[in-house]
Order: sequence, then C-alpha cells, then structure tokens
Amino acid sequence: MTRELIKTGFFYISILVSQLLIFNHFNLFEIITPSVYLIIFILYKTSYNKTVLIFLGFITGLIIDLSMQTYGCHTFATITICFLRERIIKNSFGVNANLPLAMIKGTQIINRLTFFILIILIHSSIFYSLVFFNVEVLGKIFYYTLINSIVTFIIIWVLSQLISKK
Amino acid sequence: MQSIINSILKKRNLIIYVILSLITFNSLYTNSSVHYSGIEKTATYLSGKSSIFSSYINSYFNLRNKNQILIEENLQLKKIEYKYNSQNIESNSLESESLNTANIILNSINKSKNIIVIDKGILGGINEEMGVITSFGVVGIIKSVTDNYASIISLLNTDLKVNAILKNSSTIGSITWDGLNSKSLKLNDIPLSSSLKIGDTIVTGGMSFYFPKGIPIGSITNYDNSSLEGYYDIDVEVFNDFSSLSSVYVLERTDNEEIKTLLND
Repeated sequence: MTRELIKTGFFYISILVSQLLIFNHFNLFEIITPSVYLIIFILYKTSYNKTVLIFLGFITGLIIDLSMQTYGCHTFATITICFLRERIIKNSFGVNANLPLAMIKGTQIINRLTFFILIILIHSSIFYSLVFFNVEVLGKIFYYTLINSIVTFIIIWVLSQLISKK
Repeated sequence: MQSIINSILKKRNLIIYVILSLITFNSLYTNSSVHYSGIEKTATYLSGKSSIFSSYINSYFNLRNKNQILIEENLQLKKIEYKYNSQNIESNSLESESLNTANIILNSINKSKNIIVIDKGILGGINEEMGVITSFGVVGIIKSVTDNYASIISLLNTDLKVNAILKNSSTIGSITWDGLNSKSLKLNDIPLSSSLKIGDTIVTGGMSFYFPKGIPIGSITNYDNSSLEGYYDIDVEVFNDFSSLSSVYVLERTDNEEIKTLLND
C-alpha cells in the first residue's frame, strides 16, 4: 500500500513538474499548450477516494494557474472534470466501469478513446471558455479547444500506452 | 439531525465542488480584469432581468389596487368634466350632481329583464332611482337598495325607458331595448321630419330625474324611415359593453326631491 502510494505520488509529481517545466512553455504556433497533467485524472484509480480526487484537482489546477497566470481557469476546468469523472466513466465503460485498470487495459479501445476524449474535450472547452470569457469569440474558443484537445489527446494516449506496457 | 448529517455526507462531493468553484471564481473576479468586467456585465444583466420579472409579478398582484386607484382618479375626472359641461351649457342643474363608485357583483345580459347588483347600498350613499353610468355611458337606474347592496335596472331591460336626444340636432326621443341583441337598443319617438345619419351619437336628454343632459348612450347603426306612423325605426349600438362591466359610477341628483315636491304641488 505504502509502495503504491509512493509510486502514485512520484507519478503525480513527475507529471506536474513536466507540465510546469516543459508543456507550459510549449506554445506551438502561439496556440497549442497541451494540458498533459490531465493524465493524472484520467489514470486515477476508480478504487481511490473521489473527494480526494476533487481536492487533488484543485491543488493541481491552482499550481498550474499560478505558473501560467490564468487566475483560476485551469482550477475550475480541472475540478469540474474531477467532479464529473465518475459519470464520464460510467458513460464510457458501461458495465466495465469498476475494473481497476479500465482506463489503460482490459477494456475495449473504443471505450477508452471515448473516456480520454470526453475528459480532454470537457476540460479544454471549459478552460478556453473561461480564458476568452466572451460569447463574441465563440469560433475562436471552438478552434482553440479543438486544436489543443487533439494535441493533448495524442500526448496523453501515447503516455498511457507506455505506462500500460510497463 | 443524523439524517441531515447523512444527507450532507452523501452529497459531500457536490458541496466541495461548489465551494471550490466559488473560490476559483472569486480568484478570477478579483485578479483578472477581463473576468471582473465579464462577471459584472453578467451580474448586471441577470439582476436587470430578475428585476423586470419580479416587477411583472408585483404589478400583477397589485392590479386590484391599481384598478381602485384608477377608478378613484376617473371619478375625480368625471366630476371635473361635469363641472366643465355645466359651465358650458349654462345649466346649474348639473352642479347638483355627485358621483359615487361601486363594483358590480352580479350581472346578466341574457334575459329580457336584466338586473345588475352592486356592492354598495344605503350605507355607501346609494338610494333608489339614482342613475348609473360608466366612463362610456349609461348603464341603468337603481331599482332597490339594502344596507350594503343595490340592484340596477339595466339598459338591457325591456321595462326601462330612458329619455334621449340626438346629440347633433337635440331631437328628443326615448331609448328602449327590444330584448334581442345585447349590443343594440332602439331609439323611439324621433319624427321623420328630423334629419339623422348613421353614426350620429345618442346622449341622455336631461329630462328625467335620473340622468343629466349629455351622457353618451350609443350611436346610430341603422334606421328605417318607411314607417307609416311618422317616426323613424332606429337601431342604436350601445357604447357600454354590458358583458364586461366591472365598476360603475352612481349619480346622485340632490335636487330631485325639490323637483318632485314641486310636481306634487
């Protein structure tokens, strides 16, 4: 149990540090900033406490907001996906929702894809809606959401495949 | 108490989510000028909309009071109108009029002898044989009174005959109802020698104890001059909609008793 906790803690810190040091400065074409830290909330085990997940989302979002000066946009988007995660899991995996490693193996690939895409899309749409905070730039919000979601998805998918092989 | 704690524990994730969201939005509101102005705009829009909505509801519930205020206001205007008219036609009889308002509590238009009941009686200053009008024109005459209620013989009553004149030519006739159409009255006793046309206004003639001169009754919609008796057969569309009457003014002619005494002598 302690070993698993240390492993999870290490995983969390390494993802957060790589987000802060690498991905936050990505800024490809001045549009793309992948939110790779979402992998923490995607791979969070279903057997773990859900209340802890919301607090974890809050702290993670807060740290990233402080580093990127986004004043709470990441925090709100992150706690929202943490709160909705249970429902998204049920919608994506159906009866297999309780499998401990459902997010990375032992389930249909289409279920996993749905789960990944839903988490990333919901997060990105909330985040960019808050960043622009203007209905008149709805097209821009869609565009940023779509592009960033695609890039984030690719990185997270590759990372999750690497983790599952390990 | 235990059940309350249990339900809170059951919904703890939602409560925590809401609290953390509020903290986040507070951070956005205080630190980011874009979000500050955006939230201010939204708050202004929402408060404006909710104010309009609540004012709609309030105004709906205040309709009865507003209606009462309007009736009172109308009463004052009527009094001023009568004073003005009396000065114009140089008759002091109209100065002896006083008005009283009342609400209709019972009304019928589908009988041949229709009666209206109002919510004021002797205690409210209503007596028998007073004229009853609305802003649009004549309604009827008080038939009987109790302490708190009074009944009115409506214009839509075949027993009632009201003295009337053609407004333009001052030819005297009388208004009756034939019991058929609630919107149409008959103007009788107008000789064929009089000139009239469709649309002419009919007003009270002033030659009765009930109504002063000049209160509107209706307008001519049709007439027939082929009668062998030497009088027109005239249809008059009544100005008042008797099916939707809600409040009326009761006229009191203070000089009635004096005139009656004179007639008896």
